[in-house]
Amino acid sequence: MVQLTPVLYKAYHGGHLTIRLALGGCTKWPFHHIVASPNKCPTDGHFMEQLGSYDPLSSSYGKKLIALNLDQIWHCIGCGAHLSKPVEKLLEVLLAAQKTDTEATETRELTSVNIAVGTRLKSS
Amino acid sequence: PGVCRAGTPCRGLCSEAESGSPKIKKPTFMDEEVQSILIKMTGLDLLKIFKPAIRETKPPTYKLMTQAQLEEATRQAIEAAKVRLKMPPVLEERTPINDVLAEDKILEGTETVKYVFTDISYSIPHRERFIVVREPSGTLRKASWEERDRMIQIYFPKEGRRVLTPVIFREENLQTMYSQDRHVDVLNLCVAQFEPDSADYIKIHHQTYEDIDKYGKYDLLRSTRHFGGMAWYFVNKKKIDGLLIDQIQRDLVDDATSLVQLYHILHPDGQSAQEAKEQAAEGLQLIKVFAKTEAQKGAYIELTLQAYQEAFISSSAAS
Repeated sequence: MVQLTPVLYKAYHGGHLTIRLALGGCTKWPFHHIVASPNKCPTDGHFMEQLGSYDPLSSSYGKKLIALNLDQIWHCIGCGAHLSKPVEKLLEVLLAAQKTDTEATETRELTSVNIAVGTRLKSS
Repeated sequence: PGVCRAGTPCRGLCSEAESGSPKIKKPTFMDEEVQSILIKMTGLDLLKIFKPAIRETKPPTYKLMTQAQLEEATRQAIEAAKVRLKMPPVLEERTPINDVLAEDKILEGTETVKYVFTDISYSIPHRERFIVVREPSGTLRKASWEERDRMIQIYFPKEGRRVLTPVIFREENLQTMYSQDRHVDVLNLCVAQFEPDSADYIKIHHQTYEDIDKYGKYDLLRSTRHFGGMAWYFVNKKKIDGLLIDQIQRDLVDDATSLVQLYHILHPDGQSAQEAKEQAAEGLQLIKVFAKTEAQKGAYIELTLQAYQEAFISSSAAS
């Protein structure tokens, strides 16, 4: 991973702050940090501040653990940060923001397909 | 946004008695009077408080001191000992959290797992943190106390506390610890692991005190910070006979009288309290009044008192 020095930041023009998931962890064991970083930087590269974490492996406690530093998130959004798609999805789960039934039925179909694929893989 | 957590008990405030006259304030663990009595009973055995703990060994240091320096060092040791003897709080059991924040049927079936959202803002006290669970059925509920403790330990780890309950707090292992006379270690681990108002903490403490009472091992806790809690538990349950007998046998008659005084403060409507007020009893007389009226093992207490008095008289006659 290239460590960008302040000299090289000037090469990035016209980017904006984004709150997104930075993937870390090992093979077959993903772990995401929720991070506020400039748009143009690589996802797991330099960031402005860490705003929380997301543990998608529900096998650890049977639950997916999400930590959110709400003070700082409101501050960043107030400063004009954008949210990436996965972060939006997480916040939708928290705030029940799937406003229309059609969106919800789409996700439901997707989940049931995933469950079916999963059970078929386990049985085979 | 939102309301701070309900269910945190108020410490140090007296609450009214449930029955009887509403003007009498029931004394709590944190009252100054009660605390002074308990601190006096705990004693200050420096050798036991500063007993060597198991850690990396280094060769001992020897210092050459004058009498004045030795007294100064002892005084400083007593100050440090008082800090070590600070009693852990005794609170009532916390009420379970059952709040449902929202029921969103739209989200039913969209997820297969629970999502736990924790707020990790640094400036919020742990009791007021938002820890919220979104179930697969779509309900958004506040996390229960055990889930809260686990999450707070994951994101704000405290030294000495494990995320999952250690194996040592199971029944069989506790019994092994009791048989090895390691009640102090059990209580220290319990204080480090659980919150003072959690059900596990209170249950383990009560179990330890019952075991000590059964076998009369009161001296194990004598110079530790758990003695006050033990005395408070016995006085509330009205089971102070064993403790009284143990104190008289070890010639700690002042502590025995203060224990009976504490009993009278907590149960002023009882028989022994009223008789003691009539007779204006002091010292040994107080214990005798208590032994006659409200004690279960009154005969034992009187016997031990008699034996103590005879020993006292014979020793004063001999000297």
